[in-house]
Amino acid sequence: MGEIWVLVDTSQGVIRNVTYEVLTAARKLKEKNGATIAAVYVGDEAGSIEEDLSKYGAEKIYKIENPTLKDFNASAHAHALAETIKKHNPDIILAGNTLQNQDFLPRVASRTSSGLSFDAIDIDINSSSTLQVKRYRYSGKSISTISYHDVKPMIATLRPNAFKPVENQTSAEVINESIDVPAENNMKVLETKIIPKERPELTEADKIVSGGRGMANGDNFKLIFDIADSIGAAAGASRAAVDSGFVPYEMQVGQTGKVVSPNLYVAVGISGSVQHYAGMGSSTIIVAINKDPDAPIFQKCDYGICGDLFEVIPALTEEFKNLS
Amino acid sequence: MKILVIIRQTPDTEAKIQANSTQNGIETSNIKWILNPFDEIAVEEAVQIKEKSASEVIILTVGSERSLEALRTALAMGGDSAIHITDDSFADMDSYALSKVIASKIKSIGDVDLILSGKKWIDEESGQVAIQIAEELGIPQATLATKIDLDEANKSVKVQSEIEGGQRIVELKLPALITCERGLNEPRYASLPGIMKAKKKPLEEVQMDSIDVGELGLTKESLGNAGSRLKVDSIEIPVIKRTLTILKGGKSDMVQADEVKKASEELARLLREEAKII
Ligand SMILES: Cc1cc2nc3c(=O)[nH]c(=O)nc-3n(C[C@H](O)[C@H](O)[C@H](O)COP(=O)(O)OP(=O)(O)OC[C@H]3O[C@@H](n4cnc5c(N)ncnc54)[C@H](O)[C@@H]3O)c2cc1C
Ligand SMILES: Nc1ncnc2c1ncn2[C@@H]1O[C@H](COP(=O)(O)O)[C@@H](O)[C@H]1O
Repeated sequence: MGEIWVLVDTSQGVIRNVTYEVLTAARKLKEKNGATIAAVYVGDEAGSIEEDLSKYGAEKIYKIENPTLKDFNASAHAHALAETIKKHNPDIILAGNTLQNQDFLPRVASRTSSGLSFDAIDIDINSSSTLQVKRYRYSGKSISTISYHDVKPMIATLRPNAFKPVENQTSAEVINESIDVPAENNMKVLETKIIPKERPELTEADKIVSGGRGMANGDNFKLIFDIADSIGAAAGASRAAVDSGFVPYEMQVGQTGKVVSPNLYVAVGISGSVQHYAGMGSSTIIVAINKDPDAPIFQKCDYGICGDLFEVIPALTEEFKNLS
Repeated sequence: MKILVIIRQTPDTEAKIQANSTQNGIETSNIKWILNPFDEIAVEEAVQIKEKSASEVIILTVGSERSLEALRTALAMGGDSAIHITDDSFADMDSYALSKVIASKIKSIGDVDLILSGKKWIDEESGQVAIQIAEELGIPQATLATKIDLDEANKSVKVQSEIEGGQRIVELKLPALITCERGLNEPRYASLPGIMKAKKKPLEEVQMDSIDVGELGLTKESLGNAGSRLKVDSIEIPVIKRTLTILKGGKSDMVQADEVKKASEELARLLREEAKII
């Protein structure tokens, strides 16, 4: 059996948690077909990533480093990875479903004439080592099981939080791939702004507290931020809260916002529309705080308090603080 | 400027999704179809650019007869002409084949400066078609645009996009492809006069059979579901199994102010001891 590649996602030089999740998922396939798991870094400078990757079961590490790859550019990144794929012929490539991977993997799939699917919540292989993925379709309203047919490599991204990272110490062999990356002159990065986050990223968060139209205004979102901070959660919002100008679009959860699947989702002053639910319905535990006993969210949550959020949230924040 | 907007029809966001009898697709008979919400944003952006500068806006879709409606909506919003590639004979094309077919049509139109698309089709959420078109055409892309500034004189475009943990601004040389994110604009409703006018706008119908797919490195067999690289084995509708523990006597009773502390205590305890989540 050949190789399963796992793309290494970093954020300011640090490996993102989702990479460990994907390494863990890759091991599930390895147990069935004995493939070698290789972590693959594509970028300008990998730094010393060996130790962390070995901890989660990487047996090989390909470092595709080139100064041209400093500013992320889909074509250049696709070129670097596609050429390395052609050289080593991996069977399967897995990666976190990050914005960057969603941006350049379609080009890799075109260049290597392979098959790609995004945002898998589970993966498996059958006896002939064909990859099978499960993913949501129609925004959380259905789950499709999809098989790859006569393509190589089989590429898939995995939804953050779908797999729990489990350590498995190995000692990885490092392979440096030097590759020519032609400078792209039809695309230039003018400005990159990383906004320091006070809270976890929505799509990767383990816990989320979201506010809806019931928050009444933007200032009141301080209540959401406070309760989120008391349990280390990310803060989200419904579309009504975004459209009313309470908070920016980046915070929107739902069919036309972010699709999230944390372990805990707390919906505050959110009615539970079909479109909102489509973005968070796969959360493990859903908690609703709403003053309307007939709010649809109460039909599809695990726990709820029917009450005025302006009374409940401060009290609940106190309780959460006492617990931690 | 020649702007091309690629669009797709999608089930209404309210639609109840059910598996079809063969369990590998959805039941489409009772569904209301709409223009994909992200594609609406792309159409709006094209029309706004046209309103500022003399531009031509062409709308293109690959889809069944039914998707004519989506084209008409886009024309009513202000598109100038439409191209409908009907694929009844090759339903369920994968994004690889689809992008090749669309890219070849774009080449034959010629001189397209800017291609706009939605960030994803909310139905399948393949998220690949537009980027693969850019790859086929050998042009740069910016995805998830929240602001677009065209510089016609310099044949370039500045795009602000969302990236992990922040945003960035890139400059692309035209021709280029941009996928549109919510926040870029507020799509207009098609007005009644707009809808009337749309009926008279040029619409080119292209039969998929008339496209020489061999030239694209594809075979007819590779286009439909049978030749797809990814096949849906089965579809399931997730059943919501939630415990529905609503504090303060179930659905009908709202917690009174003096009971808030007790209810909060109880909820925190349940989350810790029963759900084991905090
Ligand atoms: C094409 C399309 C795409 C969409 N995409 C999305 C999407 O991605 N995400 C999304 O969220 N929506 C989306 N929507 C909008 C969706 O249909 C709903 O309009 C929206 O989710 C409603 O948000 P809400 O629950 O905050 O507001 P409402 O439905 O107005 O609910 C507010 C709730 O707050 C409660 N409340 C009010 N005051 C208090 C208080 N003091 N204490 C406690 N509770 C209180 C009320 O009882 C009510 O249940 C989309 C719609 C369309 C047509
Ligand atoms: N059949 C199609 N015809 C024209 N444009 C399409 C088609 N499918 C997808 N697109 C465009 O590509 C975008 C991304 O779609 P997808 O890759 O399927 O998520 C959509 O928002 C449309 O703008």
